[in-house]
Amino acid sequence: MTPKLTKLGAALLATTIASTAYAEEVTIALSEELDIVDPCESSRSNLGRVILQNISETVTELVPGSGLQPRLATSWEDKGNGTWRFGLREGVTFSDGSALDAADVAHSITRIQSDAISCEIGAKFFGGIELTTEVVDDHTIDITANPAQPILPLLMSTVTVVRDGEPLDAYVDTPIGTGPFVWDEYARGQHIKVSANENYWGDTPAVTSATYVFRSDSAVRAAMVAAGEADIAPNIALQDATDSSMDSSYPNSETVYLRLDHATAPLDDVRVRQALNYAVDREAFVGTILADGTLLATGMTPPSTIGYNKDLAPYPYDPDKARELLAAAKADGVPVDTKIVMIGRIGNFGNVLETMEALLSMFQDVGFNMELQMFEVAEWLEHYSNPFAEGRPPEIVEAQHDNANGDPVFSMFFKYACEGLQTGICDEKLDSMIAEATGLTGADREAKWSETFKYIHEDLVGDVMLFHMVGFSRVSPRLDFTPTIRTNSELQLGQIKFN
Amino acid sequence: MLPFLGKRAVASAISLVGLVILVFFLSRLTGDPTDLFLPENATQEARDNFRRLHGLDQPLIYQFFHYVGDLVRLDFGDSVRRAEPAIDAVMRGFVWTLWLAAITMSLVTVAAVVVGSLAAFHVGGFFDRVATFFSLIGASAPDFWIAIVAIVLFSVNLGWLPTSGTGTAWHWVMPVAVLFIRPFGLIVQVVRGSMINALNSAYVKTARAKGVKDRKIIFTHSLRNALLPVITVIGDQTTAILNGAVVVETIFGFPGVGKLMIDSILQRDFNVILAAIMVTAFAIFLLNVLIDILYAVLDPRIRY
Repeated sequence: MTPKLTKLGAALLATTIASTAYAEEVTIALSEELDIVDPCESSRSNLGRVILQNISETVTELVPGSGLQPRLATSWEDKGNGTWRFGLREGVTFSDGSALDAADVAHSITRIQSDAISCEIGAKFFGGIELTTEVVDDHTIDITANPAQPILPLLMSTVTVVRDGEPLDAYVDTPIGTGPFVWDEYARGQHIKVSANENYWGDTPAVTSATYVFRSDSAVRAAMVAAGEADIAPNIALQDATDSSMDSSYPNSETVYLRLDHATAPLDDVRVRQALNYAVDREAFVGTILADGTLLATGMTPPSTIGYNKDLAPYPYDPDKARELLAAAKADGVPVDTKIVMIGRIGNFGNVLETMEALLSMFQDVGFNMELQMFEVAEWLEHYSNPFAEGRPPEIVEAQHDNANGDPVFSMFFKYACEGLQTGICDEKLDSMIAEATGLTGADREAKWSETFKYIHEDLVGDVMLFHMVGFSRVSPRLDFTPTIRTNSELQLGQIKFN
Repeated sequence: MLPFLGKRAVASAISLVGLVILVFFLSRLTGDPTDLFLPENATQEARDNFRRLHGLDQPLIYQFFHYVGDLVRLDFGDSVRRAEPAIDAVMRGFVWTLWLAAITMSLVTVAAVVVGSLAAFHVGGFFDRVATFFSLIGASAPDFWIAIVAIVLFSVNLGWLPTSGTGTAWHWVMPVAVLFIRPFGLIVQVVRGSMINALNSAYVKTARAKGVKDRKIIFTHSLRNALLPVITVIGDQTTAILNGAVVVETIFGFPGVGKLMIDSILQRDFNVILAAIMVTAFAIFLLNVLIDILYAVLDPRIRY
C-alpha cells in the first residue's frame, strides 16, 4: 500500500470512529438547572434524571412491570422485629476505584438522616422512621427500622449509596457513585457532562457520554430536539408536543384531585361531597384542556401501584343528581349555601388555571356558592398542609400527588390518616385500615390497599378524585428509547439504544 | 471631579444600606423557605431542623444583625438552594449579563446614532419614514414572541443558528439580536428628535451657509450637542438589561443574573436575592458615574 493510500485509509477509519463516537453521545434538555447535586437529593425529579442509576445506584430498584429488583443488593431477607438482612453485590467499585462494601451502605443510610444536612430522600421517605444498621460482613448488612417497615426493601429502592467517607454535614458537589456513568463536569448554568464508567459491574451501556443542558421554556426544549441539538426533552408541554414522530405521552405518576376539608360544614356532609363528585364532567377535560390519554382517577395512586382497585368507577357526570343531593342536605339543615373557597396552585400542571375555572363553573352550575383562589406554592402549602388555620372557611384544595414508587404506603398515611400532614379526613376505621395495610405483605397487602381505596371512594367520599396525568417527552428519531412512568423521576442512560 | 465622586459614593452607599434593609425585611415577608425546600410530607422535626440549620428559627432582628455582621466582612452568606456562597452564584450570572449588556448596547448605540442622525437630516424623506416605521415597531415589539419566532425560523426551519445556550459566537447572535430591537427602536427616536433640534439651530445654519459638508454637519457639529439626552436613554436601557434580561435569559438558556434573581425570589433564597440586588445596584452606581463623566466630556459647560 502506498503512503498516500495508507493515509487515506487512516483518515477514513478515523472518520468512521469519530462518527461512531458521535452517534453514542446524547444531549438531554432538562427544564431546570440543578442546584444541589448530592445523591441524597436525587428524589428531586431533575436531579434524579441525571444521577439516579446513572451516577449513583440504589440498594434495590423498582422496575415498572417487574416490581422490586436487585441493584446493589442481590438478596434481602426479613429477620423479624423490623430487621432486614441485605446481601450486597460483590465486585462493585465506585468511580474513584474504591470497593463497595456494607460500611458504605450503612454510611449512606446514616447520611440521609443526618441532622446537619437536609437530605430530601430522608425527609420524603423516612420521616418518623428510625433506621439503624449493623455490618455483618463486607457484603452483608442488617437494617432495622423502628417502627418496623414491612416494605423496607422497597424503601431501599430510594436510597442512593455513597462512599463511606462522604461528609455528614455538607453536600457533595462532585457525586461519586457505583453507576454506569461518571460525573465529569458541571459548568453551572450551562451543562453537566457524564461519561461511561469503564469499570462498571453491569452491562456496558450503548451511550458513551451524555450532556445535560437546562432550558426552562418548553417550546425551546422541543425545538432543540427538532433542530438536532438535543436528543431527549423529558418534560414538554402539551402544546409543544406537536410532532407524533418524536413526541410520546406516558403516565407520569401524578394524580390530580380536590382535597375536601371534612372538618367544616357543609363539606362534613357526605351528600355534599357526593354532589361535588357528580357535578364534575371529567371526560370533558380529556383531549381538550388536558392531554389525550389522561385517565380518570378513583384513587390517590396511579394504576400501576399495587392494590389499585380496578373495580372502582369514577363518579359519572350527573348534575341533576348533584342538585338533588344538595337539596336533600339543605332540607336537613346542612348550610349548603355557605361560601366554599376552592384553592388552586399556580403552575401546578399545564392548564391548571383553565381546569380550575372549568371546575368552578361546574360546581356553580349545580348550585354551590364557591370562589376560586389561585396561590403560589408557599401560600398554597399553608392551606394544603397541617396545621390548618383555626376558623377557616370550608376549603377545597387542588393538589397533584406523585407516587412512582409502586406502593400506596408512600401516599396513604400523609393524605388520609388523622395524623397525616395533608389529610382532610379523620376517620378511625380508615386509620386502622391504613395501619393494617402498611403492616401486611404480598397478596394480603394488595387486597387491603384495594379495600382501603374502595372505602375512601365509595363510603367516605373522601375527595373529588380527578385525573391520572400524562407527561410528554420528545425523543430524537435516532434513539430507541420509550419514556415510562419512571421518566418523571429518573432517566437511565443505560436504557437508551440507537436506531 | 474627585469631590464629586466622593459625594456620589457616599450617597450611593447610603442608598445601598437602605436597599439592604428594605430587601432583607421585604423578602422575609414572603414566608419561610422551609416549605419550598423540603418535600410536602416532611415531618415537623425535619422542618424544625432545617430552620435551625439555616438560622431561620432565630428572631428576625437577630437574623438581620447577624447578616449585617457577616456583610461587613464581605460575607454574603450561602445559598440555601445551591449550597454555595451566594456571591459566587451571583457573580457567575452577573458576568454573563454584563457581557450581554455590553455587546448589545454597543451595537445599539452605534446603529441607533447613525440611523437616527440620517433620519433627522432629511425629515419626512424615504429613509426617515422607513427608520421611523421600524423603530416604532422595535420599541413596541414583545421580545418573548420575537425570541420564539426567531428560534423556529432560524434554528428549526433554516438551521442557521443554534436554538439556545452558550459556547460559540453563534450562540450570542439571537439573544443579542432580540435584546437589540427594543432599545434600538427607542434610541433611534430619541436621536432623531434631538438631532432635528440640533440641525435647526443657528450654528448649523451658519455652517451650511459656509458650505460645510453634510457629513461634517451631522457627525461633528450637531451630534455632539444632540447626544446628551441620548446618553441618558442609553444609560436607562443599559440599566434595564443589567437588572436582568429575564425573558431572553429564560428562552435562550443564558445563565445570567436576571433569571437567577427571579428563581431566587420564587425559591425564597434570601441570601442570593440580597447579593444579586447589591451587585446590580453597585454596577448601576458605576454606570451612573460613567454617564456623569460623559456629560462633562461632551458639554464643557458641565463641571463637577
